[in-house]
Amino acid sequence: MSTREIFDSRIESGLLLLPTLLVSVVFLYYPTALAVRTSFFDSSFGQADEFVGLKNYVTLLTDSGYHSSLLLSVVFALVVVVGVIAVSLYLTFLIHEVDTGQGVYLISVIWPYALPPAVGALVFLFIAHPTLGVLTGPIEALGVDVDWFNDGPQAFVVVALAAIWKQIGYNVIFMIAAMNNIPDTLTETAELDGVGGIRRLVSVYVPIMTPTLFFLVIINTIYAFFSTFAFVDLLTSGGPSNATNILIFDLYQEGFSFFNFGVASAKSVVLFLVVGVLMFVQFRVTDEYSYYGA
Amino acid sequence: MVELLQYAKRRAGALRGDHATETTHGASAGTHLQLWLLVFAVVFPIAVALIVSTKETGVVTSLGDLVPGSYAVENYREALVDYRFGRFMWNSLAMSLVIVVGKLIVSVFAAMAIVYYRVPYKDLVFLFILFTLLLPVPVRFIPLFQLMNDLGWSNTILAITVPYIASATTVFILRQHFLSIPTSIVETAKIDGVGPLRFMLFVLLPMSKGVLVGVSIIMFVYAWNQYLWPLIIIDSEANQVAQVGLQLLQGDVQGGQLSWSLVMAGSTLTLLPPLLLMIVFRKPLLETFSIQQK
Repeated sequence: MSTREIFDSRIESGLLLLPTLLVSVVFLYYPTALAVRTSFFDSSFGQADEFVGLKNYVTLLTDSGYHSSLLLSVVFALVVVVGVIAVSLYLTFLIHEVDTGQGVYLISVIWPYALPPAVGALVFLFIAHPTLGVLTGPIEALGVDVDWFNDGPQAFVVVALAAIWKQIGYNVIFMIAAMNNIPDTLTETAELDGVGGIRRLVSVYVPIMTPTLFFLVIINTIYAFFSTFAFVDLLTSGGPSNATNILIFDLYQEGFSFFNFGVASAKSVVLFLVVGVLMFVQFRVTDEYSYYGA
Repeated sequence: MVELLQYAKRRAGALRGDHATETTHGASAGTHLQLWLLVFAVVFPIAVALIVSTKETGVVTSLGDLVPGSYAVENYREALVDYRFGRFMWNSLAMSLVIVVGKLIVSVFAAMAIVYYRVPYKDLVFLFILFTLLLPVPVRFIPLFQLMNDLGWSNTILAITVPYIASATTVFILRQHFLSIPTSIVETAKIDGVGPLRFMLFVLLPMSKGVLVGVSIIMFVYAWNQYLWPLIIIDSEANQVAQVGLQLLQGDVQGGQLSWSLVMAGSTLTLLPPLLLMIVFRKPLLETFSIQQK
């Protein structure tokens, strides 16, 4: 370890670190500190800030609209995480099982990693459009009245499906690496014991892949909370009647439609706590697994 | 590549007279069929977009309408020229390239200081950089918006590039990679009296080509797909990026001035750069991901 440290000039190392540290302080730490500060002020466009203590947080605690948005985000994250993990895991398993065409199958399912969420949203808007959508006819033939511009639960399903679709690629990339690392001997033993097919996936592969799966649960949760903004913005704008108004969209509206910077900053701080807890849990669990040499 | 490996494994097994791996979990036609169906589901939305982008009006209300039209050239020309999508694409490209190049240079410097310098507090500095993972755009976009206004950067390429230049992810991946370069090589460089600049240019970078390509693709996809921040900070059409430009096209559709085929042409154009890069450089990309998880 120590033999790698071949230089010792403090000035040089300082200069090498300077650009990263400068940008981090000015554009990451400083604005975050300002957000915390602003959350204690009554602040909006073109007026002097007025210190109001915890008033903005009290507003959040008593605002039932915010509570439903919080609950909605948790349910949304749950649906997206479970959906993405289940679909990706099964896809990965199938790809792992075939002897021919693995490379082609792999690239045909990991490409959504590159998909811009805005593109994914517009394509979904088009194929599931209540009057124009190419899938609307077939789905209505099954007896469902496609009306997600007015029907909250349907809108939720459309946004969740689009969000799941986009995230499959990223998940398969990590899952296939983990599954390919499982020793062949284990697969053979399972086969000899008569554990085949989906049971081999669930009771042999999944336990071994736990560290990777856990990593993906955290990444997907952060994705569901923060990176699905474009889907909500372009598909539903949070509606109908707030059925898809998840925290990130709610925060955007508070800040840039209503210009309540004080309340919006308090909402930013809440989101910061959400990421913080998720990351903390990830580091703790990763630490635990590393004892097993995973 | 995966296929080759598996093939080699099977051949080696056969030579040893070990037939277990050859057939036991040989894929049935059923596995391929399931894969075909799932791949179809994952590719279908984008295939629709591609087909619709070649049609005259883009009205596709039944599956039978899904045949390519003959308006491809006209639609893409109209989107690129008349609706200024060429301009949006150019702005996105400029933004992404500045972010990728900036992040690479700055992060190579930082990772080099963290791995190859014997200086105090460098673990603390590394933690300080890693901690920025907790500060995604939504946590700080309100003060950042005000900061950009104060700096006079709103509506410029500076606003959508400089705040992204510091990268905890890139520094982390590069650090992991540098730690895997054998110490013997590093020590040889030290004995030869190689200075830090020559060490970086002639030892470190040549030994990191794959990782540098891999992180460049990750960073390009990340930068190109940014939607929320450009939406907030860029408000002139001339400086807008493709992701938000799509929203402008869609607005014109709802206003009745534009056909869906143009929106799908715009969507296809927006998807192409990250998709092509991912497909061409999938090997270094997948290898870099396997470093990231460690």
